[in-house]
Amino acid sequence: MKTLQNLEPLQILGLIGALFFLTAPITIPLVANDFWVSIVAEIMIWGLFAASANLLFGYTGLLSFGQAVYFGMGAYGVALSIDIFGFSFWPAVLVGIAVATVTAFITGIFAARLTWHYFAIITVVFSLIFFFITVGWYDVTGGDDGLPFTLPPVFKAGGFEVSLLDLTFQYYFILAVVAGCFALMHMLLKSPLGFAFIAVRENASRAGLVGYNPYMIRLVSFVFAGFFAGVSGVLFALFSRSASAHFLFWTVSGEGVVWMIVGGAGTLFGPVLGAAFLIIVREELSLYWEHYLLVVGVIVILFVTYAPQGIMGLLKSALDRIFKREREAANSVPTVGEAVAKEGPES
Amino acid sequence: MNTPVLQVEGLTKTFGGLTAVDNVHFTLPGGGLHAVIGPNGAGKTTFFNLISGFLRANSGSVIFNGENIIGRKPHEISRLGIARTLQIKSVFTGLSVYDNVWIAVMGQSRFLNPFKSAGSYTDVAANVEAILKDMGLSDFAKELAGNLSYGDVALLEISIALATQPKLLLLDEPISGMSPSETKHTVEIIRGLSTRLDVILIEHDMEVVFGAADVITVMNQGAIICQGSPEAVSNDPSVQEAYLGTPGEEDEEELSA
Repeated sequence: MKTLQNLEPLQILGLIGALFFLTAPITIPLVANDFWVSIVAEIMIWGLFAASANLLFGYTGLLSFGQAVYFGMGAYGVALSIDIFGFSFWPAVLVGIAVATVTAFITGIFAARLTWHYFAIITVVFSLIFFFITVGWYDVTGGDDGLPFTLPPVFKAGGFEVSLLDLTFQYYFILAVVAGCFALMHMLLKSPLGFAFIAVRENASRAGLVGYNPYMIRLVSFVFAGFFAGVSGVLFALFSRSASAHFLFWTVSGEGVVWMIVGGAGTLFGPVLGAAFLIIVREELSLYWEHYLLVVGVIVILFVTYAPQGIMGLLKSALDRIFKREREAANSVPTVGEAVAKEGPES
Repeated sequence: MNTPVLQVEGLTKTFGGLTAVDNVHFTLPGGGLHAVIGPNGAGKTTFFNLISGFLRANSGSVIFNGENIIGRKPHEISRLGIARTLQIKSVFTGLSVYDNVWIAVMGQSRFLNPFKSAGSYTDVAANVEAILKDMGLSDFAKELAGNLSYGDVALLEISIALATQPKLLLLDEPISGMSPSETKHTVEIIRGLSTRLDVILIEHDMEVVFGAADVITVMNQGAIICQGSPEAVSNDPSVQEAYLGTPGEEDEEELSA
């Protein structure tokens, strides 16, 4: 068992982060405006979305500009199930996730054949196709205006009813789902399948020569990424009580990629840090300056050029410097038995 | 008589107008160390690429243990029991030596359980440690593959190939770029391997090939020109011709000059 004494500094930071997310609805109103609780909830949703792009890029080596498709499918899956079919809460959630995952599988059959720029291009193309279908099919999707719906209750027993209209409950609902997804992703990445992802990222032809089918591995990664993006889309639809064609536009995917890279690709929680940082920048700056995206652009350029490991990389090297812990071997990396290949301790 | 391990019939590969491998017939009866030599551009690596599924042949067949493997993908061929190393060393540079071999061992399993921790496969771990020990890489287990010396990368690549438990091992210039002592060590390892599995070795170092190989095949311009024991091959006039040019031609050139 690990005790507090032998935790890595980064793991301690992770615990602090976990504590922050667990207590945000109570602690934030003490120091800031209540609406920041909603911002934190939104950060968790977008963090999960960015993590889906990270599963592909950071671990499997596939740069996707199409994660918005599965995000949008999840959102519309929920919205249409509730609005048109009158589904109750849980079936609608399941439909949303299933639609996103199945769409990822079907598009993945084609996309997983490609790598590098060809892969990036086909994901943009998928994004545009699904976006234009959604915009054009106004009667069903509401196009650009979106499709608002009325939230059904999450639980209903006799006179007792809980719904996401209770904002504290909504916050913890989002936290629970997102935490569950990250636990699942963590498990995946530490499993033989996760190592197969990394093997394909590192050297696909070598992976093939030792028995992995790179196409299959990429497809599985693509479907899992679609699943996670779908869950984030479901959450966002519930959170904003609507779905919109905007959700599928490729710029949404692009934002996910930016959050992932600024936060630290190839690390489990880097995308959450990136989303948090840039969403806070957006919230603060957009009040004063409508062209705040220029600042975001500069931030991204600086990160890509000077800190390609992202915030997570900066944090790690800063902590290493502060604690100056005598590492047995400066270049040693943890092996399978200890931690996932490259990223070291994640928290 | 036993069926041969590898039976190649009429194998041909062309790139545009160039015939890289030209109607090759080749039989590997099995047992011992088999070397393939030939001048640059003779088609040796293309020959390996065809056997391991990197390239599709234009025609011909490759029968491995009674099964035609032409048209199979590299991962399928790996699972049938052929492993290879590449002329330009190919390992997972960004991962530790241990993880490199671990991934290779796991590559042969039919199902990659996404819900089971990689650390819980104790049999795989034992296997990895045994391979690293055999190859003398135990001390580097935690080192990044990208930080290894050139010679150790070559040994790691052989370790990765062995981790797939092959029946046939194809080595493409494993000792190129090695120091004399590294070469000696590696050749000993390869000799040792050839006692328990079939090894085909592409090599340029003639001293190594003639010292270590049991059978030598000589390729030139995409075709096999000679095959036999080191003595037989070294005395074959067609081999000398391939390496040194036709004596007649040179004489003529000298005369005309």
